Amino acid sequence: MTRHKSRREVLLGAAALAGAATLPRQAAAQAKGRIVVGTWGGDYARLLNKNIEQPLLIKDGWEVVQDQAGDPERRSKMLAEARLPRGTSDVQGLSALNMAQMNDAGVVAQIDYSKLKNAANLLPAMKYPYGIGQIYSGKVGVCNPKLIPTQPISYKDVFDPAHGNKLGIIDIQYQYTLVCASLAAGGKVGDIEPGKKLLLECKKAGMRIYPTNEAFAQGLKAEEIGTGVMWKARVVQWQNAGISVNAIAPSEGTLAYISGFVMPKNAPDKDGAYAYLDAMLDKSAQEAFAIDMGYNPTVTNAVVAPDLNKRIGFTPDEVKKLVDLDYTYMNTNDIAFKEWWDKELKS
Amino acid sequence: MAATATAQFQSEEAPTSVLSAATLVGPATVFVAAGLLLPLAILFRYSLNTMDARRIMHEAFSLENYLKFFADPYYLGVFWTTLRVSALCTLVCLVMALPLAYVLARTQTRFKNVLIMLVVLPLFVGNAVRAAGWMTIFGSRGFLNVTLMQFGLIHQPLEIMYTETAVVAGIIAVNLPYMVLTLQSVIEGINRNVEEAAFSLGAGPATMFRRVLLPLSLPGILAGTILTFILSMNAYATPVLLGGPKFRMMGPLIYGQFQLNNWPFGASAAFILMTATLGLTAAANILVQRRYRR
Repeated sequence: MTRHKSRREVLLGAAALAGAATLPRQAAAQAKGRIVVGTWGGDYARLLNKNIEQPLLIKDGWEVVQDQAGDPERRSKMLAEARLPRGTSDVQGLSALNMAQMNDAGVVAQIDYSKLKNAANLLPAMKYPYGIGQIYSGKVGVCNPKLIPTQPISYKDVFDPAHGNKLGIIDIQYQYTLVCASLAAGGKVGDIEPGKKLLLECKKAGMRIYPTNEAFAQGLKAEEIGTGVMWKARVVQWQNAGISVNAIAPSEGTLAYISGFVMPKNAPDKDGAYAYLDAMLDKSAQEAFAIDMGYNPTVTNAVVAPDLNKRIGFTPDEVKKLVDLDYTYMNTNDIAFKEWWDKELKS
Repeated sequence: MAATATAQFQSEEAPTSVLSAATLVGPATVFVAAGLLLPLAILFRYSLNTMDARRIMHEAFSLENYLKFFADPYYLGVFWTTLRVSALCTLVCLVMALPLAYVLARTQTRFKNVLIMLVVLPLFVGNAVRAAGWMTIFGSRGFLNVTLMQFGLIHQPLEIMYTETAVVAGIIAVNLPYMVLTLQSVIEGINRNVEEAAFSLGAGPATMFRRVLLPLSLPGILAGTILTFILSMNAYATPVLLGGPKFRMMGPLIYGQFQLNNWPFGASAAFILMTATLGLTAAANILVQRRYRR
């Protein structure tokens, strides 16, 4: 005779089964710990997971959680959490400019490079005391040869008022645009006043301002504009999407864009943070980012296929001439720059 | 027996009703207090602080941020633009919604629910997605320009994207269903006989509308206008996506300040927007109520 199970027995059995099913995963996750990664969302987050987290960390028993948000929100969070003994993230993805800003605010830890086995291959320029460059690209001139027959060779050629409304700039890129315009006007990264003057002349001549990178791309595609400045990596993506543009490394030197990671001082799992920083410098992860995203590796042992390197990379001479922002100058004057941008240039 | 019943009613029902009222009102009150008033109080406190990029802000009790807002023509300009656009959108919504709501309220067709669903349908799509749709229409090679050029009506594309016109069109499209639904429900509650009585006494359609329908539907007009006006004042996605970088309304301005880590100024701008919206709404309410009483 078969005894029917009571409802309570069935529920207990199901709960035990569910508990048993989660045991191996929890055990694996607890084996090494949990890494919380502050990052932008979208493709970048997906590629972090695909190229770093899945193959190099989760496979080895780490649990990785992404805290996705824009960088202003994440920076605010870091500042707001600064007083807490334990923060909520172990590493934070930021641009080099924002890494410097957070270091200046005293909320990020100094990196102990002896804990990173891949640090030996790191390009010296990507080795900040307070953070590590993961990928880099440069602000190149873009040009549609159909609309701009004489190809620009410098920022000065790009920011030429003679282009009228065929010159476009991007609202959210105000910091880099100001510096490029300054270099075009013979100024320096630490003094953007000449750039302001030049931008006002371009505005008077009809320069268009687009709200986002995507809108700028649409402007290029619709042939509203024929020139401007953009990250070389993004130009490669546009070329892949069929937009007719060339990338030009400007003769003044290409303004570099570096994106990397910092570790908050109050990171709850510092070992996990170092594991993440080391994994992101791994040869395989760096090569995959070059292929998937068009950004250059920051380690010397990453191999980029010659044809890809020709499109995303820079010649040794261009690398030598890469220009970095003056972080202190930019961060100190950021609000003033934005107010000028909004009130004078966009009005 | 009747006296006993009354006594029972009074002795048992009175305390229960007080208890019931507290029980009913309590959870919502606690939720509103914790979820809205507390953050608002914190935000107001922040608005009195001063900016410090290294630590978000300095603790202070200063009106500096409010003074900066009202002393700077740029910020005042953004505020007036927001008011102008909101007033225009509200007015256009009202004018467009009234006939539509009247037809929906009075129609006897069995497809009435389908018609109402058609009005509601745009609300199923998020503001950003809807704005993206407008972008494909307003772009220099968008539907509108291509059509006009194909018919030879224009030779150069019209610059509609990134203009106030595009923003006004986008906000009206977002807000119109709210106005229509509010008006429709109020007009439906007005007895058809009063309109017929007006007609039978010799009033034309315009007189009937002015002397009968309009006064009776004033509560609905007020509710719809307030709703639409508040939504317009706080618009974010539409001004950003359709207005572009040169067009500024208060919503994007406030968010921009928080992005710059300038929380105190962002908080003060948020309070100015909220106060202005509440003030104008309350003023409109009082004015209409007075007229309605007469």
